[in-house]
Parts: sequence; structure tokens; C-alpha cells
Amino acid sequence: MSRTLKLAALVGVITSLPITLSVAAAENLKVVASFSIIADFARNVGGDRVDIIALVGPNGDAHVYEPKPADAAAVGSADVVLVNGLQFEGFLQRLVEASATKAPIVELTKGGEVLRNTEEEHHHDHDNAAKGEEGHAAEAEEGHEEPHHHHGESDPHAWQSVHNAEVYVKNIANAFCAADAAGCDTYRANAESYGEQIEALEEEIKAAVAEIPEGKRTIITSHDAFGYFEHEYGIKFLAPEGISTESEASAADVAALIKQIRQDKASAIFVENVTNPRLIEQIASETGLKVGGELYSDALSGENGPAATYIEMMRHNITTIKGAILAS
Amino acid sequence: MSTNWASATAIALLLSLSTSAAHAEEVTAWRLFISDHADPKVTVIDAVNGGKLDTFQIKGPASLHRSESGRTVFAVQGSAGVVTGIASGISFEDHGEHGDIDVEAPKLADVEIAGEKPSHFVEHDGDFAVFFDGEGVARIISEKAVLEGKSDFREVKTDAPQHGVAVAYGSHVLLSEPHREKPDELPVGIRVADKAGMQVGGIHACPDLHGEASSGNILAFACAIGLLVVTQGDGTPAIRHLPYADSLSDGKTTTLIGGRGLQYLLGNYGADKVVLIDPTLESDAFRLISLPTRRVHFAVDPVRAKFAYVFTEDGQLHQLDVVKGEIANSLKLTDPYSMDGHWSDPRPRVAVAGDRIVVTDPLQGVLHLVDATSFEKTGDIAVEGKPFNIVSVGGSGQTHEGE
Repeated sequence: MSRTLKLAALVGVITSLPITLSVAAAENLKVVASFSIIADFARNVGGDRVDIIALVGPNGDAHVYEPKPADAAAVGSADVVLVNGLQFEGFLQRLVEASATKAPIVELTKGGEVLRNTEEEHHHDHDNAAKGEEGHAAEAEEGHEEPHHHHGESDPHAWQSVHNAEVYVKNIANAFCAADAAGCDTYRANAESYGEQIEALEEEIKAAVAEIPEGKRTIITSHDAFGYFEHEYGIKFLAPEGISTESEASAADVAALIKQIRQDKASAIFVENVTNPRLIEQIASETGLKVGGELYSDALSGENGPAATYIEMMRHNITTIKGAILAS
Repeated sequence: MSTNWASATAIALLLSLSTSAAHAEEVTAWRLFISDHADPKVTVIDAVNGGKLDTFQIKGPASLHRSESGRTVFAVQGSAGVVTGIASGISFEDHGEHGDIDVEAPKLADVEIAGEKPSHFVEHDGDFAVFFDGEGVARIISEKAVLEGKSDFREVKTDAPQHGVAVAYGSHVLLSEPHREKPDELPVGIRVADKAGMQVGGIHACPDLHGEASSGNILAFACAIGLLVVTQGDGTPAIRHLPYADSLSDGKTTTLIGGRGLQYLLGNYGADKVVLIDPTLESDAFRLISLPTRRVHFAVDPVRAKFAYVFTEDGQLHQLDVVKGEIANSLKLTDPYSMDGHWSDPRPRVAVAGDRIVVTDPLQGVLHLVDATSFEKTGDIAVEGKPFNIVSVGGSGQTHEGE
């Protein structure tokens, strides 16, 4: 649903555990990325000096991901663990505990411009969740809610702003330099080169948005994953589901959204790669909007898909949005 | 009773600063529900101070199951033909930034589900399905109904009496398919039925079906040929067959439990082995772990996600590291309990209550307490009779005075 997003500039630096590891230059840096978009950033910064494992792969939904023992083993043997932070990875705490890793856990949103999640201020959970000992850990103990998390005060989907993506990349370069001083020059050079590419991408997005009439810049997606895109580029997104895909939209949420779609005269509606399209198809049917395609919100596509990299993803999204609106 | 309470999880009454007008107190409460091997009773122990809270007389010796919410405990009395609901007295309410705990006296829930030979009991998303082997019928009831004292169950029938299982899976029910030619043998597959009881799709083959568990968003059944792995499909449950790896020795899993915090399944595989399973993989899904002697019982640790526990007939409790796939620690707790003899002879069972692992010792009439962090024995609690099956319920939360 439409929510007021307030800008909160968080000043910070890379968060890491006290222990940082240096690896011999001959060995590649073992990097675990929490999801596919971060893995792509890491690949661009690390080049052939890093081996990367993405926990949540292409088209995977990190909001509801269930970590496996093999993930704990990967984190346990990693030199660097790259995460989004802002409580995006609800599984992170228990995974890190299970892994007993000594690697730095680097929150890539630190230092970025972070939007407040005003949904949380009004949010009271819908289930009779057990809150056992030690927070999340004992939620698991009581088993009822497969250990889930509450999204915090901030909208975690910061990568949907290219400006923030640049912060992710800088943080990755810093983390790699801390772990592998011998490769630092390479990491910095790669980060700079990639930074230029995503700066150019941002110009493309702005130019595409400029071609969309202002009165037609309201669209519908499955969940509130595009708050940063809205803030940066001026497309208004409405969604039946909130910041997380964890909880399904209620009938009242959907009815309110349909009313708002009619009031705000939404131009187009889109499915997302990480969510079930059924609800969007239902809303499309009830509002007469045609589904304008698939947007990539919280994960890249597979290798052969249209959004196999971050740059391809952002380009695909704006092209799809623009195409559907102009055709409406 | 001889318990080192100084090391125990004491009741924490920490007056905390609250943004609300009411003062919030942090309260920890844990209860152990223990059935007796011979007598028809369930004893309730306060796991924090070791004291007995109550004893409920039921109709037959019972196996126990706790609901995922912890609000309800079920005593499945196979020989007496009845399932009795017990309100644990502990409930939680999530307020996002904190959780409230409500602690009341445990009590019988005034709900009994009767039928011939109740056996497997499965909860899925707050619906309980009890399978009555003698009738080939599943009776399904919600936790809400149980706690309101209403026996509002619905029935789903299979084609014949069998040692079966049912799972209420959203708007569908998964039902075991009886062995037509030899009804005394284990079921041969899984049938999906819709809300109206109509079969959806074909029978999913699962010969010698026995054992079911959930971990996260995955449900699995154990069969002679591997597992059936169930996930939420597009409108109907999606079921795939995960065959045992060729590298495994001959054998099969007949008991499954599901990991908490990490997504995995743990099953038996031969008398002196367990198998760790990643049900999301197509290959290399099985890791076999040998035990020093034959296995008696096993349980997962819902708090320390990397550990599960296996009790073996030599009287040892083993801490199993599910990440490394190896036994990390072993601790001698009881005299030997041979696995020779009848399968249902009194033998130890394991439960985890917060920071403690609790092991029943039916022949000595005690519960052994083990600190889950240090993996050292911290005490015993004496229980009359032959304490056998055990479940724990509890956790921590806030209470608010003046609200």
C-alpha cells in the first residue's frame, strides 16, 4: 500500500566483527553473499580474486529463505560475508550463530541513504507468535512460527536506488581490501570502473522516466520493494503486500488497494519474480489493468534471463515499466 | 531432587524500562509434560524450579505431542482409543518489538477425540490431524477449537484401516494410501484430497510409508525408496520424489524429525545410524552418521540450530553437529537400555527446554538435566512411576502490570 517514506540519512561505516582475516595472495578470497544482487556486485569488485557463494540464488526470495546446514558450513569457512542489513535477511542471526564464523559480516547498506519503513510503525503482528528466549532463537524453539523476523524501522530494499548501489560497491571494496590487502588496488580499480557503469545506468533510468507523462507514473507491484526507486526516480508504486513477502495481503488490504488504484488512476500492473503472480493477476482482472510484465525486485534472474546482473535488472525494470505505461 | 539450580535458567524478573505506562517484567517459564510407560497419567513439571505442577489422569499410556505454538499438548492413547487435549497454560503474543507471555495453570482442555487405534499425530499450520489406524480415518481439528473446548473435528476417510498418516495441508489433505493386497503392511503412497475430499491427481508412490516431518516450508514423508518432499505449489501441494543416494547402504528411514532454525531433516537409517537430509537438493542430499551403538531416540535442538541429540542404548546422549555432520560430544547419562526386546519397552526419550536438554530414565524414575551450552549434566528430577514420553513448552516474554 502507499506509505509515506521518510528519508533518514544514516551515517555509518562498514560494520564488521572485530576479527578480520587476511588471506594469502595465492588463495582466492572466499566470499559468501546473502543474495544474488550482492553476489553480482561482489563479482564486479572481486573479479577473479574471489570465489563467491550466494545463499539465496536467482529468483529466490530472501524474505522467506530457510538456511540449510550447507549454508552454515559456507559461512563458517568464508573470509568475508556480505549482507544487505536493515533486517532484510531474517535468517542471518541464526545462520551466523550456527556457523560459528569468524569472518566479518559486512552490512552493505551502511553509509547509504536509508528510507524509513513507516509500515512498521503501524504494524502489529497477525499471528500469536511465540517469543521465546533470546528473541529469534527461541522463536524457533517454540517452533510455531518458523523462526521469522520483523522488519525493522527501515526499508531494506536499498539497492533499488542506483545511488545506494554505489555505496554497496564501495563497502564491498573496503571489505575486500581489509581481508586481502594484496588485492586492494585491484578491488578499488574494479569498484571505480563498475561505479562508472552504474552511474551511467542511473542516467538511463532518469531519461526513461522523463519520457513517461507525469500523470501516468503510478503503477502496481506485488510487494513494497520499490520504495527507493520511487524516491529516487519519481515512479509511484502501490502494492498489496508490505515490505516483506512473509505475510500475505488480507482481503481488506486488497480491497483498499483496488480502491486506491481507481482513485490514483494507476497506469500499469506488474508481477515480480520473487512472488506468486496470482494476486496480481486477480487485481489486474478486477481493475481492468493489463499485466505489463515481470519486474525483478529482490533477486536477479537466472543466467539466461533478462536480469542476470544488477545493471540488466535495473535496465529491464525501467524498460518494462516504461513500455507498459506508454502502451496503456 | 538434586539440581544445581544456580546454573539453571532462573525465573528472570527483570524490571525493564518501558515506553508504555505499564511496567514490563521479563518472565521465563518452562514446563515438562511427561507420560508414564505403564500408568494412564501425564505429569507436569515446572522446568524452572523442578516442582510438580499437576498430574492429569487419562485413559491409557500415551505418546505426547506439543503444538507448534506450545499452547496445547496432546496425549495419544493408542490402547485406550482416545486423544486428549491439555492446555499447557503458557501462551505468547507477539507485539513486534517484544513478545508477551501469559502463564496460567495447565488443565485438561475438555476435548477428546475418540476412535480405534489413534496413531500418528501431525500438525500443520495450526491444524492437527490424528490418524486412527483401526478405522483408516483421519480426524482433523484446529488448535483454536481445542483451546475453546470444542470437539469440532472433521473426518477424512481412506479406503481401508492401515497404519497411516494424514496432514492437513492448507485447503488440501495429504493421506496415506493403504496397501490393498496386504492391509496389515505399511501404506504404499500419498493421495492428495481437496476440500471436498476428492482426489487430486494420482497416487504418489511411497512404499513402506512411515515417518513424516516438517522443516520450514518443506514437509516430507519417508518411504522405502526415499522421501516424498512436499512444498506449496500453485494452488495444490507440489510433491517430488527424492530417492536415497546410491552411496547409502541398504536401508530406509522410518522416523523423521525436522530441523528448526536450519532447514534439514534427520532420520533413522539402520539401527545404529542416523541420516541428515537436505530436502532441497537433487543430489548429495543424504549424509549418513554412524553411532557407537543402536539408537534409542533423537531430537533436534530448536534454539541452537546446529545441534541435534541422539540417545543410544549404551546410555549415552550424543550432541550431533548438523553442520559438520558429526558427533561433537557424548555424555553418559543412564544405565544401558538394550534395543533388544519389544519396540515399545520403556526407554529414554529426549526433549529440549530452553537451555536444558531433558532425558527421561523410565527404569530409574528420573529426568536427567543437561546444560545445552556446556553439555554437562546439571541435575535430576525424580518423577513417580516410569517417566517415558516427554515434551517441553515454554519460553520468555514480558508481562505488563496494570494492563
